[in-house]
Amino acid sequence: MRLSHSTQQQLLRIAAYVFLAVMAVLFMFPFYWLFVSAFKAKDQIFSLPPVLWPDPWRFSNFAAVFEKTHIVQAFINSVVIACGHCTLALFLCSLAGFAFAKYPHAPGRDKLFAFVLATMMIPGAVTLIPVFVVLCKLHAINTYWAMIVPGAASAFGIFWMRQYTMENVHNDLLDAARIDGCSEFRIYWSVVLPVLKPAMAALGIILLIGSWNNLMWAFIVLRTTDMYTLPLVIYLLNGENRTPFEMIMAASVLATLPLVIAFLFFQRQFIAGITAGAIKG
Amino acid sequence: MNDPLLKRIWRHRHFYAFISPFFVLFAVFGLYPLLFSLYLSFVQWDGLTPMQWVGLSNFRNMIHDEIFFTSLWNTLIIGLMYIPPMFIGAFLFAVLLNSSWLKLRGLFRAALFLPVVTPMVVVAIVFTLLYGQEAGFLNWLAGKLGMGPFPWLVSENWSKPSVSVLLVWRWTGYNMVLMLAGLQGISTEYYEAARIDGANALQRMWYITLPLMRPVFVFCSIMSLIGTVYMFDEVFVLTQGGPGSSSTNFGLYLFNTSFTDFRFGYASCIAYTVAFFVFMASLLILRIRRSGTE
Repeated sequence: MRLSHSTQQQLLRIAAYVFLAVMAVLFMFPFYWLFVSAFKAKDQIFSLPPVLWPDPWRFSNFAAVFEKTHIVQAFINSVVIACGHCTLALFLCSLAGFAFAKYPHAPGRDKLFAFVLATMMIPGAVTLIPVFVVLCKLHAINTYWAMIVPGAASAFGIFWMRQYTMENVHNDLLDAARIDGCSEFRIYWSVVLPVLKPAMAALGIILLIGSWNNLMWAFIVLRTTDMYTLPLVIYLLNGENRTPFEMIMAASVLATLPLVIAFLFFQRQFIAGITAGAIKG
Repeated sequence: MNDPLLKRIWRHRHFYAFISPFFVLFAVFGLYPLLFSLYLSFVQWDGLTPMQWVGLSNFRNMIHDEIFFTSLWNTLIIGLMYIPPMFIGAFLFAVLLNSSWLKLRGLFRAALFLPVVTPMVVVAIVFTLLYGQEAGFLNWLAGKLGMGPFPWLVSENWSKPSVSVLLVWRWTGYNMVLMLAGLQGISTEYYEAARIDGANALQRMWYITLPLMRPVFVFCSIMSLIGTVYMFDEVFVLTQGGPGSSSTNFGLYLFNTSFTDFRFGYASCIAYTVAFFVFMASLLILRIRRSGTE
């Protein structure tokens, strides 16, 4: 029996849906496991057959996390560091990006920009130790600054902001503002920044993901419990004797939710942020 | 004061004022570290006692450092294990999500992409539970299917595949999104023209989509290469590089050399050397792309 062309196509589409649905379930499974484990008693986490649905749902794991760890402080630290890092980097990158885009006659501009581009080639691994040493010399170890400042001078960010400024900020607009007597910084602040918003949102999201999830650098420069970030608290709980997995899972849910929720609300900006890097880079 | 260059510079003082915050930070946290690190490659230093100039002996030690080469080998093997399935999966998902007839696109995209925004430490701990030897979900499932139990994290032969599975889960969505953007950038005119010429779906894929996607593939390959060499959290939390050093990649070995053993000089030496080769490999990939398009 020969299937007609449209029946064939119909079958292929159904197969595609089934395939995507199975994959979506597979990809979501670790999240499901994380979430239900956060509500299980410890012995339920390791019971056989596995407990797929906690009974009862225990909220006491969260209570234990709040009681026995500095999770609230860590949450605050993570928020301060992520926001500080994003703000600083976005400010530096948009200001310099604007300058590189809109002052074509400044002597040495092209050489300086070529220099910025060349710095994109430097992998962070090479500068790990010296940056640590610099922070020691500045007495910045175990401070917010150690987490906020080092990665903020992002060559990639400048490159991107320059590109976006060139394509979207019109010179007429700048000239009109100059005739109105705006200072150059005022022009950046009130004329250019509003236009850059979409690009800033996208770049901000990339920086936010990196900063919020950063474990290695936190592990190197943060030393006391009052400075720990969420990933570090979770990592250290995992290293304790008789690992308290039920608490780790609860803390993990708290560390994971903010970005997941942000992603669900701002999907478009997330995707734009990720892809802009590839198309422009 | 009549020097025209100085005058021009003064006229553009705002330009220099606006780029200077970046350059100050970059000088302190980028340029100086880069030069300092180069210098460190030729000294012996633990961060506390005075530095000792040792010339090329760090490089000589590197050539005889078995764990260093093991870590490079592991990096290569893990890369070969996870990058091909990840690329194929990501491309397949991207093509499906790019089809105009597909419904629930946002839902599928979100499901596949969410791993990318999850803290790596959380991912690694959840996988530790799933991989559990006696009470892990995967071994329970394998048992139900009449297989296993598999020594996911406790066997030297299994640690690399186990890390690779985690990496596929974590990074497929990222590559999918990049490839999806690439597909959306291909003008539909090409496909219309091919359809008029009687090309079937497979031919359109082979002669239009794949060649035009080459820049995206190149970008994804370079990112994956760099990511695999320098990845840290994944192995640090999931396997600690073990058992033995069977899943120690270069990133973890560099971290251990730097911040566990405090061999700052030697660590700088291997970091520089590997960065050089990664740079050359990236150039090579770019070169292949160019020669392919000509």
